[in-house]
Amino acid sequence: MEIGLIAIGAGLAVGLGAIATGFAQARIGAAGIGAIAENPELTGRVILLVAIPETLVILGFAVAAMLIILLGG
Amino acid sequence: MLVPMSKVNIVGHRQSLDGTLTALHRAKRVQVIDVTDDIGVRLPPLTIDEEHLRSIEDLRYLRARLDALLHLLPEMTTHTSEGISDVDLEDLRAEVDAAAPEIEELLGHLDDLKRETEALPRHLESLRRLLPLLPDMTGLESYETTALLVDARHATVLGELNQHLTTELEGNFEMVSDRVDPRTIGAVVIYPKHASQAVHRRLGHEQVSRVRLPKQYETMSFRQALVAMEQRLAELPAAIEKAEDAVTDFVRAHPHWADARHAAVARLEQLGAIRSLGATPHTFVLSGWVPTENLGVLRTELEQSLGPAVLVYEAEIEAEEEPPVLLRNRAPARPFESFVKLLQIPRYGTLDPAMLLLIFLPLFFGMMLGDVVYGAIVLVVAWLLRRRFGPTGFAHDLVRVLVLSGAWATVWGVIYGEYLGDLGRRLFGLTPLWIDREQAIEPLLLFALAVGAVHITLGLLLGVWQAYQAKDRRRVGERIGMLIALIALFAIVGSATGMLPEATMNPAIAAAIVGLVLLIAAGGAMGLLMGPLEVMGTIGNVLSYLRIAAIGLASVYLARVANELGAAAPLWLGIIVAALFHALNLVLGVFSPTIQALRLHYVEFFGKFYESGGKAFRPFGADDTDSLRPTYQQ
Repeated sequence: MEIGLIAIGAGLAVGLGAIATGFAQARIGAAGIGAIAENPELTGRVILLVAIPETLVILGFAVAAMLIILLGG
Repeated sequence: MLVPMSKVNIVGHRQSLDGTLTALHRAKRVQVIDVTDDIGVRLPPLTIDEEHLRSIEDLRYLRARLDALLHLLPEMTTHTSEGISDVDLEDLRAEVDAAAPEIEELLGHLDDLKRETEALPRHLESLRRLLPLLPDMTGLESYETTALLVDARHATVLGELNQHLTTELEGNFEMVSDRVDPRTIGAVVIYPKHASQAVHRRLGHEQVSRVRLPKQYETMSFRQALVAMEQRLAELPAAIEKAEDAVTDFVRAHPHWADARHAAVARLEQLGAIRSLGATPHTFVLSGWVPTENLGVLRTELEQSLGPAVLVYEAEIEAEEEPPVLLRNRAPARPFESFVKLLQIPRYGTLDPAMLLLIFLPLFFGMMLGDVVYGAIVLVVAWLLRRRFGPTGFAHDLVRVLVLSGAWATVWGVIYGEYLGDLGRRLFGLTPLWIDREQAIEPLLLFALAVGAVHITLGLLLGVWQAYQAKDRRRVGERIGMLIALIALFAIVGSATGMLPEATMNPAIAAAIVGLVLLIAAGGAMGLLMGPLEVMGTIGNVLSYLRIAAIGLASVYLARVANELGAAAPLWLGIIVAALFHALNLVLGVFSPTIQALRLHYVEFFGKFYESGGKAFRPFGADDTDSLRPTYQQ
């Protein structure tokens, strides 16, 4: 039971982080493509901006890993 | 590295202006500074005299004319960028004006022939399908024939047409129809010539499209037209070849046109630069940037071509002025310059990170992909592709970066013991040299964090060095404070988790406080708020390197899924399924680590020291390599 709860917690940590990242990337990506269409020189900066929200899911992954390693035994 | 730049003032008598501009344009060593933007030279801009204005107008006309003609002609090779003198400019203009109708006619004729080659087979196909329905017209000279092709789905229209024609021509006509292919019904109507108008009107009413022949075949019977068209089609290749030869002969007779256009563009650029120069009553002053290493060569070149009439002085660079940036790295680091430019080039006087990208970008890629077979495939494919792309360009550079990245992925594959995921272990019992990513997740996460800590610390050290070079004491204080606080936090975590002796805890806490105080003090009024936030941000940066482990784990598990599915199915099907999954994993495994490794550099690493916003060095005359295709921009 306890292991099951830990697994659900870990899954939520990654999953919710991924959803948040997806929302942020969708908006940044759409605006970024518009900006690139206007000025292709912005490609590098747009890639950078699109990649920034990925920190959310990485932090979710870190939390999930900690839950499993520290509590999962 | 960034090439050191010098500022020069080139001063000469106005009589030497044209010669100087030509020499500088050819040398391609100096970026001209507009006199109105030049802080060092306070002179009014040179005005363009009437003679030069006339030259500009003539050259623009000539360039536009040549653009239009060269756009139509097969590509011509340029040989020289020598200038056009005003004397042969007149002749050239007359020659171009005289020859234009000739070449337009030649090209028009060639186009007609090509169009005919495309159109005739379509007509022939229609005729061949209708031929079995056509009666022998011998003795029926007073009759006319019209052929129709109708979509089989609308076959009823032929019955309606028959009824209407029976009423209108009182039965004085013949109509036969049959299916010529599964989708089309062919029909032929034969009627007296005097009823031609009535039949055509009826066909128009019924909206039936008749088979129309090209104009030159309209007066012939269908059989005659078929023969004539076949004959014409056989003749066309020779006619096209002849027309193409005529165009080629024309191009050969005017080999100097491409060069002339090239020279016209060059001369226009030279004349366009006049307004950027400073003027005194008798002299001109040209300010510009030149790579310091080229300064001596520039002096010699100008002296050789213009003598003592033009002088080159090295000028003082004012504090407000920022020289342009020219990146130059050794061959291995050169492909990484594209990734620096993708972001924005560094400011003059700061660090060029291309060499750092050479060291870390492929390394991080390898850490994430980390599979011997995947790495070898990336390496071999990139190696084979490297000659596919031109000598420069982003694709060329990307392929070279992937060669290195593939090599590192292979090395890390040996370290992780991964050969198509766990296939090497399953089949041959191959074991990892260091850690098994699938099992040892905790060490893998710690390793990723350690990589991040080292990388971020290096970034901060570079930041301190850069701020010290720029004599920016505030930034030096900030970055040293951050460095101390970060290292102290690592020590606190190490001591708390038992990785460092317990005795390090107190000194580490003291160091963290010192670092934070330094950071706050250097930050000024906002330091109290921003200092702790920046420390949190930097810890976040280090945690961000967990993606090296996360992306790697995703790749490992996908490879394992491929192997499990392959093993569950019968042998051949299993191999196909496993190959498909591995191919998918490889595509993801190339794309994702590239983006993530770039992001770790752009966001986390560069954020600690990189100063972007430089302006690229564009020497006068370097844009003189435009293609023959018209630009119509000026």
